[in-house]
Amino acid sequence: MNSKHIQLIGVTKNFGKNTVVNNISFEIADNEFFVLLGPSGCGKSTTLRMIAGLEDISEGKIISNGVDITEEDPKDRNMAFVFQNYALYPHMDVRKNLSYSLKLRKVEKSKINQKIEWVSNLLKINELLDRKPSQLSGGQRQRVALGRSLVREPNAFLLDEPLSNLDAQLRVEMRQELTLLQKDLSKTFIYVTHDQVEAMTMASRICIMNHGEVLQIGKPQEVYDKPNSIFVAKFLANPVNNILKSKIIKKDDSLWIESLNIFINNQNLNNLSEIYFSIRPENLKLNNHDQPYNFEVKIIQIENHGHELLISAQLEFDKQIIYFRTTKDKYFMIGEKIKLYFHIKDLLFFDMITERIIT
Amino acid sequence: MSKIHFYDRRFGYLFVSPAVIILSIVILAPITIAIITSFYDYTLINRTLDSFIGLRNYFESVSNEKFIHSAIVTIVFVILVVLFEFIIGFLIAILLNQVERFRNIYYFILLIPLLINPIVVGLIWRMFLHPQLGILNYLISLVGIDPINWLGDPQNAFITIIFVDIWHQVSFMIILLLAGLASIPEEPYEAARVDGANAFQQFRDITLPYMRPVIIITLLIRLIFALKTYDLIYIMTKGGPGDATDLISYYIYRSAFIGLDLGQAASMSVILLLIVCVIIYPLFKFMNRADE
Repeated sequence: MNSKHIQLIGVTKNFGKNTVVNNISFEIADNEFFVLLGPSGCGKSTTLRMIAGLEDISEGKIISNGVDITEEDPKDRNMAFVFQNYALYPHMDVRKNLSYSLKLRKVEKSKINQKIEWVSNLLKINELLDRKPSQLSGGQRQRVALGRSLVREPNAFLLDEPLSNLDAQLRVEMRQELTLLQKDLSKTFIYVTHDQVEAMTMASRICIMNHGEVLQIGKPQEVYDKPNSIFVAKFLANPVNNILKSKIIKKDDSLWIESLNIFINNQNLNNLSEIYFSIRPENLKLNNHDQPYNFEVKIIQIENHGHELLISAQLEFDKQIIYFRTTKDKYFMIGEKIKLYFHIKDLLFFDMITERIIT
Repeated sequence: MSKIHFYDRRFGYLFVSPAVIILSIVILAPITIAIITSFYDYTLINRTLDSFIGLRNYFESVSNEKFIHSAIVTIVFVILVVLFEFIIGFLIAILLNQVERFRNIYYFILLIPLLINPIVVGLIWRMFLHPQLGILNYLISLVGIDPINWLGDPQNAFITIIFVDIWHQVSFMIILLLAGLASIPEEPYEAARVDGANAFQQFRDITLPYMRPVIIITLLIRLIFALKTYDLIYIMTKGGPGDATDLISYYIYRSAFIGLDLGQAASMSVILLLIVCVIIYPLFKFMNRADE
């Protein structure tokens, strides 16, 4: 692992009596693409703004390259910030928008021009240099905002939902461009989003937040495969994850999962009588060869997504709804009864009260 | 154009007609009558439009030393008043814009002078400034300053009138500028903070460009109203001492109702109208440029 770049230690933010960020701590490595993911109001943007210095910190410390920057001015942190609505200076043309920070730093004119040329080539905005922000499309503004952060060559880029105002297609393009850009520059990116697809596709590590607290930090696949709580399991799902409830009953050496009507072995569940469990829709397969861990469902709805079918079905036992995905060449009828199976490793259990995973 | 469109259009005219008729009667008619009157030898002694004299009233007006004097006094007054009101108003607006607590209370206090009728403002200040009985002279006597004849001395009177007008009208500037400041979004400031701009640079590069249309409108309105200042003079100095505070509106009023020469006064009013147009034209052009 690379060296530590940015550390948050017990960082808390209160707005009046409201605690929007509650005692969070994590470390971000050099050159990492670190994504803060969570629903709106979870405190992710506030966290980013505290790292940038745009928001005071109520308690805790922020360390950058070993230096405590908690009290430092935004301009002294050597970080660039890209705003959700771009925050371009509306009265300056693109060239002036790009060069503003350099002018304030009294960089030589020839050097400024060099930088602008480099940035505008990199982001393909050469044609736009003499336009005002109001004459640009959303995507172009996004590029200029990005360019404005690039010219300073900061150590870290802080991006606050930068793609959320773009249309779907542009978002996919910019996602790839940003990922490439981060690799090219090899700089630390901290990226805030509520879009789990962005997080999954771009991040080297994801930090999932809710109600001002960090729930889980890890590589995208890790977090996806082993969510540590129901919230994470539900939030990292496209479009849905199956979270169901079941009674469990001990019979001899094994446990009976009532809803699915299957038997499993799991020591950790011994003392529990009811649990949540989750199986992702893509991990449910049609049972053709009598695999173990199979159960019967009745199809109630079929959604055609073009490349696949998303089918909702009812459990035979207690009528809970469960989703599964299958290739589009299969034919089903509503009301049809079929059997599904899964691998036992894909079945996760969560505590009824803490909603935490039981391993 | 289809039949229905034409029909709709006629209905539209019907609906706006009351407003158009009333505005014509209340605004267009008096202006037209004033312009017509200015071409006649029309006095309150001879109240018939029977002696057309062409531009003679205008020639007499512009060669009238007293009229020229009052025009100059007015221009100096307007420039000083609007300039100080703008600077003081902008400073207070910027300070108030930072305040969160008790904001409405400050707003209310600021509004009080504006809510007072100019006549009443004049009366209040005439009492404050009274050479023997006024509280102002009492207060400065406490720190050992000799009483000042605020309104009796020509130079003092001009400055005092300017001061009272600022006291009365600065809130207007503050409120309009404050509304403008409050409408500037927060993000450009944050971007500038990250880019490294200090408070002055943020003001110069973000606040001022954003505020340009508001500033121009505010200046425009205040200029027009300041050019028409009348009530304060009527109550406080009657143009005196001598002609030190003889603003153009007051001079026109005297020509009309003391000199009784309405034709002459009408020609001066038209000249004042032209002066106003000349002053506001460049500002209007500037504002349109800002809108682009």
